[in-house]
Amino acid sequence: MQPARASTLSAEPVAGNSAAAGFDRPLLLTPGRDLAGFVGRLVGKAVLAGVASVSILAVLLIFAFITYRAWPFFAEGGLVEMLGSSQWYPTHDQAEFGALSMFYGSGIVTLGAMVVAVPLGLLAAVCLSDVMSFGIRQYAKPVIEILAAIPSVAYGFFAVLVVAPWLQQRWGMDTGTNALNAAGVLAIMALPTIISISEDAISAVGRDLREGAYALGSTRAETMVKVVIPAAHSGIVAGIVLGIMRAVGETMAVWMASGMSAQIPSRWWDLGQSVRTLTATIAQEMGEAPKGGSHRQALFALGFTLLAITFCLNMVSEYFLARAKRPAKAKSK
Amino acid sequence: MPKDDSKQDEVNEMKVMAQPQSKEVGEDQIAAKVHPDKQAGVYLPDERTCSAGSGIIASKDFSLYYGDQAGVKDITLEVYPCSVTAIIGPSGCGKSTFLRSINRMNDLVPSARAEGTLLVNGVDVYDKRVNLVNLRQQVGMVFQKPNPFPKSIYDNVAYGPRLQGIRKRSNLNEIVHKCLTDAALWEEVRDDLRKSALALSGGQQQRLCIARALATRPKVLLMDEPCSALDPIATGRIEELIRTLKSEYTIVIVTHNMQQAARVSDMTAFFCLGELIEYNLTKELFTNPGKKQTEDYITGRFG
Amino acid sequence: MRRRLRTYLDRAFTGSSLLSILMMSAALVIILAPMMYRGSKAVLFRGTVEFRKMQLNEPMFHRGNSQAIAEETERTEAARKPVYDLLERFGALLDTELSQKRARRLYRELKKQLRNRVENGEISQDRCDELQGRAKQLRNALVDAYEAGDNETAQRKLAVVLEPGNSALLAGTVGEQLVGEAGSYAEILQTMDLSQRGLYRREYLAVKDIVGKLLGPPPEQRGQAHLTEFRYGATRWDRARQLLDELLWKTTWAAQENGGALSEGRTKRADLFRQTQLARLFDIIERDAEKMLAPKRTFYWQYFIDDCTPGHLFGGVGPEILGTVLLTALAIGFSVPLGIVSAAYLIECKRDSCFVRAVRVCINTLAGVPSIVFGLFGLAFFLDWLPARAPWLGFRPGSNILAGALTLAILVLPIIIRASEEAIRSVPRTYKEAALATGAGGLRTFLTVTLPAALPGILTGIVLSLGRAAGETAPILFTAAVAWRMGMPRSLLEGGTRALSYSSYDVAVGDRVAMDAPHNQYGMVMTLVLLVLLLNMFAIVIRSRVARKLRGQ
Repeated sequence: MQPARASTLSAEPVAGNSAAAGFDRPLLLTPGRDLAGFVGRLVGKAVLAGVASVSILAVLLIFAFITYRAWPFFAEGGLVEMLGSSQWYPTHDQAEFGALSMFYGSGIVTLGAMVVAVPLGLLAAVCLSDVMSFGIRQYAKPVIEILAAIPSVAYGFFAVLVVAPWLQQRWGMDTGTNALNAAGVLAIMALPTIISISEDAISAVGRDLREGAYALGSTRAETMVKVVIPAAHSGIVAGIVLGIMRAVGETMAVWMASGMSAQIPSRWWDLGQSVRTLTATIAQEMGEAPKGGSHRQALFALGFTLLAITFCLNMVSEYFLARAKRPAKAKSK
Repeated sequence: MPKDDSKQDEVNEMKVMAQPQSKEVGEDQIAAKVHPDKQAGVYLPDERTCSAGSGIIASKDFSLYYGDQAGVKDITLEVYPCSVTAIIGPSGCGKSTFLRSINRMNDLVPSARAEGTLLVNGVDVYDKRVNLVNLRQQVGMVFQKPNPFPKSIYDNVAYGPRLQGIRKRSNLNEIVHKCLTDAALWEEVRDDLRKSALALSGGQQQRLCIARALATRPKVLLMDEPCSALDPIATGRIEELIRTLKSEYTIVIVTHNMQQAARVSDMTAFFCLGELIEYNLTKELFTNPGKKQTEDYITGRFG
Repeated sequence: MRRRLRTYLDRAFTGSSLLSILMMSAALVIILAPMMYRGSKAVLFRGTVEFRKMQLNEPMFHRGNSQAIAEETERTEAARKPVYDLLERFGALLDTELSQKRARRLYRELKKQLRNRVENGEISQDRCDELQGRAKQLRNALVDAYEAGDNETAQRKLAVVLEPGNSALLAGTVGEQLVGEAGSYAEILQTMDLSQRGLYRREYLAVKDIVGKLLGPPPEQRGQAHLTEFRYGATRWDRARQLLDELLWKTTWAAQENGGALSEGRTKRADLFRQTQLARLFDIIERDAEKMLAPKRTFYWQYFIDDCTPGHLFGGVGPEILGTVLLTALAIGFSVPLGIVSAAYLIECKRDSCFVRAVRVCINTLAGVPSIVFGLFGLAFFLDWLPARAPWLGFRPGSNILAGALTLAILVLPIIIRASEEAIRSVPRTYKEAALATGAGGLRTFLTVTLPAALPGILTGIVLSLGRAAGETAPILFTAAVAWRMGMPRSLLEGGTRALSYSSYDVAVGDRVAMDAPHNQYGMVMTLVLLVLLLNMFAIVIRSRVARKLRGQ
């Protein structure tokens, strides 16, 4: 045993509540310090809670103001006109605000984008999680990340300056800026969302299910299609819904690529026609709409509709994400 | 286990112990506490090296509940100054729970609830007015898996002193030097104290954690299975270190390894299923266990 | 066989999944490559002497070696002279008004001359009247000849002037020149068909226009143009080549028999001016274009600093970059502290209270709001409501940078909160335990141990939101972005700013003049995409480097 060492630091014996001399610092708080600590903790919690409530405040403000500005339009029965008519003539003397063609535009463009993006995205997610080796995956993931990071203006630029002339010259379309162009560019923009969430969901399925299927003699395709994807379906659906949300809410790319013609083509599946989406209408016409006029109110009403749609889609995706996180055994009772 | 009729004596004893009037702890007091009906040779803590008024821990019917489940129930024991007390027992028997109650680390679990008394140096640590900062600085802890901060070696050891407001470079240097020496790590790291602590080996990291705990000038060191994540050589060095530190600090060590308890400790407590089964001098517990459960555990009939 | 089918299906599945990844990589390359390549032409190109002149003379840029440029100008002017001369002469031909004016002027000078001579006593008044009379006849005939719409009439009139006796009669006077003019006009008429004058005039004007775009205005008209785009010729060699092609070849449209779209054809412009003097112009230009423009490899790195002329024809994207940086920096400045503290609260404090759940729902909602709705909110709140109800805050109804930055801050807040939450959550609990065991309180632990350990994740989140904020257009559309303004606004609360994202939209779709400068269009988008990609790379680097440091390497 080593001889005793004197401490090099001398501890001043502080008188505490206990009569002990060994513990040189008091183990009980003085009432003053106790109160100070309590108050400090309270104030700190209040400040933190206040800061955290900024997000609540922001959401409430956004909903409040959009509704507030759109309300006059709805109060005059604008909803019926907006959803029922496709005559959008906001600047006429007898202004008409039938936004059906815009709903069609947003719808057809999103539909077209999803038709391409969902299968492609699922296949890519499967590839990333199961097919690729670790090394190649390190190169593939940045590709997805870069695709996600490119600003929408750049996509729109590409659509209007590169794709549109190509469509016109090579494929002889009447106009290069049409629903096809917009749908294509939206597909590329929605892909990273779908891929990343689906890949998370597919990876989260874990090795057990896969090993079970392989042990029974399934090929990889069968395992994925019959076992893994169904097991991950909640997450995948959430990813798709989020992709739809991204496509519906996209402004710049469709503004530049869709041709901005407020009409519903006679053949609704004709993607070669120019269309107009809700988002692009707001972006284009807000500059011209006089403050406080009915045109501006109508545009805010369109914004309100957008907000409502994306909010519902968000809730749906939340539901599916929550379902995906629930442990599997809780589902079967 | 003290008999029921001596409960009142016990409480009186504890109150006496809480205010030590003498520098050393009398041998008859220990003998009376531990062996109410035994006359065996008594081991005395080394009076020469035990500094005045070393902190001690005493618990009386202490229980800790996680929600409705009891972590430990009705623990009554006391830890003597300048000694090494080992707590052994099978997995999940509440050893760590009890240890972590001493310095209120169980507060991290939201559903933790304490009943009974747990005195450290005469102060009930579950009193609402307890100064947690001072408590935790004077009752240091070393964890199972070495957990140095992702900072430099110097900053790890200097963390505690900096909390106390010591800013001057020369003071901090002194403290770091002393603690690293006390933890038997100085020779190995003296060349580069700026190196990241995470670059050290497991055993070195654990010694660094011990140095970090020493830097706050504790009186008690709580060690929660400090060697379970280390290889035998590192384990041996830590055990040697414990024997060295015993002269200045009171050490409570939780261990899975009975042989380690036998090697290192002066007193041993055997926990099982959240209850204290037996608490005795190590030599006695291992050669002559009082309870059948203890004997079964020691001889390996269950584990 | 069932098994074979399954194997094939499996192979097809694997193959198609790999194919989808390949297609996305291809899409990435297809999108980025032309942007980068054509955008780089804004910085690296072959610049002509016009470019260097523009850089020197325009007060916005004012850089260059004036002596070298003066020498170059001299050389190129010498090479261009024949072209300008040809143009001028042909123009004079076509422009009979000038010739008519000249004829009348000559007559007036003759009259004066004759009067002088009478006063000096050199000739008699009678002689003077005779000469004057004859000269007047000749003048009228000449003017008629100029005005004539076909060769016959013109020749007839000229014949009057060119009668043998006239030159003898008017010898020694100014009237000789009248005869001379008639003579050269007659010569020209041999090669030119007057009835084609209309056509010639149209073509001539077209040629003059293109030469003006190619070489700039002729020397005597320099400095007269008000708009910058008309002051200089082609500043870039690739544009010059394009104009050259336009000059040498004319696109013709022919109606199809079946009534379909017009079909395109090309004819050599020189053929249109066959047998006129102007035909030589094309050969000269084709041969000597390089001498006339002196193209040289140019590295215009100042592209990223310079302001631009109206319409983004000349100059760079400096103000746009500045505007984007300002908006993004302010947005991050507002949202990062709020975000980190919110994340800390969500993790450290009571886990599942109603309030915490409400905050989480709101963060997810914010993340899902479309960017145009953010723009609408910014407009309604910062530009309409606040100036009206709370003017003491200083917001004014017009576009201002602060409104745009605050809108971007709300947009970016969920990203930062999520990234910070993930980062803080991933800090091992053991660090927190160790700090607490050493006696640190809650706040101390967070500031000294948790936060530094979570820093790479938080930094990654910040850098990614920088990229996102820089690329967003819709939120700043109504609040802060303007297409063009002189200089930067003086305060944050007054006046909008140019920004890379909005200007990229503007030059691609909105601006007529910008179509003439595709390198600037692509250059703007390239700058934006490069900025965003660099930020993303930076985020990845931070993530890996600091993570390695945390692991002790």
